[in-house]
Amino acid sequence: MSKKNVVIEVGDGAAIPDPEDKGLFTAWRISFFGTIAIICYLIIAKPDPYLDIIKFLPDGIMVTFKVTFASIGLALVLGLIAGLGRISKNRFFNLAASTYIEVVRGIPLLVQLFYIYFALGNLIRVPDMVAAIIAMGFCYGAYMGEVFRAGINSIDDGQTEASLSLGFNRSQTMRYVILPQAWRTILPPVGNEFIALLKDTSLVSILAVSDILRRGREFASESFLYFETYTMIALIYLMITLVLSKLLSNMENRLSHYERR
Amino acid sequence: MNAVNPIITIRNVNKFFGNFQALDDVSLSVDPGEKVVVLGPSGSGKSTLLRTINQLEKISSGSIVVDGQEISDPKNDINRIREEVGMVFQSFNLFRHKTVLENLTLAPIKLKKEPEKEAEKRAMALLDKVGMVDKAGSYPVQLSGGQQQRVAIARALAMTPKIMLFDEPTSALDPEMIGEVLEVMVTLAREGMTMVVVTHEMGFAREVGDKVVFMDEGKIVEIAPPDQFFDHPENERTRTFLEQIL
Repeated sequence: MSKKNVVIEVGDGAAIPDPEDKGLFTAWRISFFGTIAIICYLIIAKPDPYLDIIKFLPDGIMVTFKVTFASIGLALVLGLIAGLGRISKNRFFNLAASTYIEVVRGIPLLVQLFYIYFALGNLIRVPDMVAAIIAMGFCYGAYMGEVFRAGINSIDDGQTEASLSLGFNRSQTMRYVILPQAWRTILPPVGNEFIALLKDTSLVSILAVSDILRRGREFASESFLYFETYTMIALIYLMITLVLSKLLSNMENRLSHYERR
Repeated sequence: MNAVNPIITIRNVNKFFGNFQALDDVSLSVDPGEKVVVLGPSGSGKSTLLRTINQLEKISSGSIVVDGQEISDPKNDINRIREEVGMVFQSFNLFRHKTVLENLTLAPIKLKKEPEKEAEKRAMALLDKVGMVDKAGSYPVQLSGGQQQRVAIARALAMTPKIMLFDEPTSALDPEMIGEVLEVMVTLAREGMTMVVVTHEMGFAREVGDKVVFMDEGKIVEIAPPDQFFDHPENERTRTFLEQIL
């Protein structure tokens, strides 16, 4: 009768910190404060080259964020459409959505990036960053589509029936009753996808987009300090994903307010 | 004999789920203000019949006219017809993400474009009627089954329907909560609401019903006033059923 306890498992992405874990030493705290401690130690103990590296990176961090947020926005829109398509009774819409998901999931992200960037770039000239965002969004939209589909399916049919019996049509039911509830089920896997996407934006450094990794590579290739540069880059990625996973787990907690007795 | 036109007319309705025939040539009419109680063993098609009235189940053949409109006619807007027909479910189905008050006001505000203040005022009056005013700000998950079902009745009433359908409204409840829900339904019946009730509550059927419909294997076996139905059942199968449950 009730499907309310369905949990969508998505293996990729950072683990969302468990809000129930109330101990002093949580995995999140150890990782987060450990990361900050190491960064501070390196900057203070060996300002040359670590301070120089960190001064070189802020532009890249901004680019990484820009690509991430724009891509996730595009992915959410495409994902919602694809997810609705997958559960649609309209045969054309359903097939189109399913095919999109099948095709995109069957091609490595890096290949898709190259394809949209170089192959389509021959036809339409778009700025580098826009091409990167389209490619990332297009790819993650397919994964997001499956998340949306699972989330919508996890809502008990009784909710739909109650809504229809009041006089709401199918799309109003989706908008007022199903999606607001599905959002809560969807949020953890969407959060995981978001963090996975942020990490995958490092792939765009292969195109001419100056994200964190590309900036780091520029620094390293001039200074030959590969070890030091990539250490710092790893630490910065880690710090960003840890902060994001914390934010998401707090948000998830707040959204579940109506499930609390 | 009867000058009033029926508000629900079900004629020769068949319903198939694949090869399984859930409704077999069912005909039934309900007058305005009438209380019809549908009884029968599980799997007899009584819930399916109820759910065809607001087209939660589409019929395979036959005709159902609700308030003058043929519901299977695509020219008629089923959503507008559903506004006239409230439904109460076995599993309550309150909107889990909305408070009790919001459960009542959502449809009037979105569908009837009622001003929020007015919708809330009417909702509070309905909550008062079902004894749930003090829980207006609670979420469904915080309520007992009986409380949820009373809210669900109020939510259906918030659309000021002409007909109320009850699909085993007390079957999912703990025994001590059945009374509070039946009480609300009796009050509603006294006020003259047209009601079609699928239930196993024989006491309610006898007290409130104007007629009892007995179904078995997708067919209507017997239609009779409650006294006659319970005291002098005509059909053999009705007798067996009553012996088993009473």
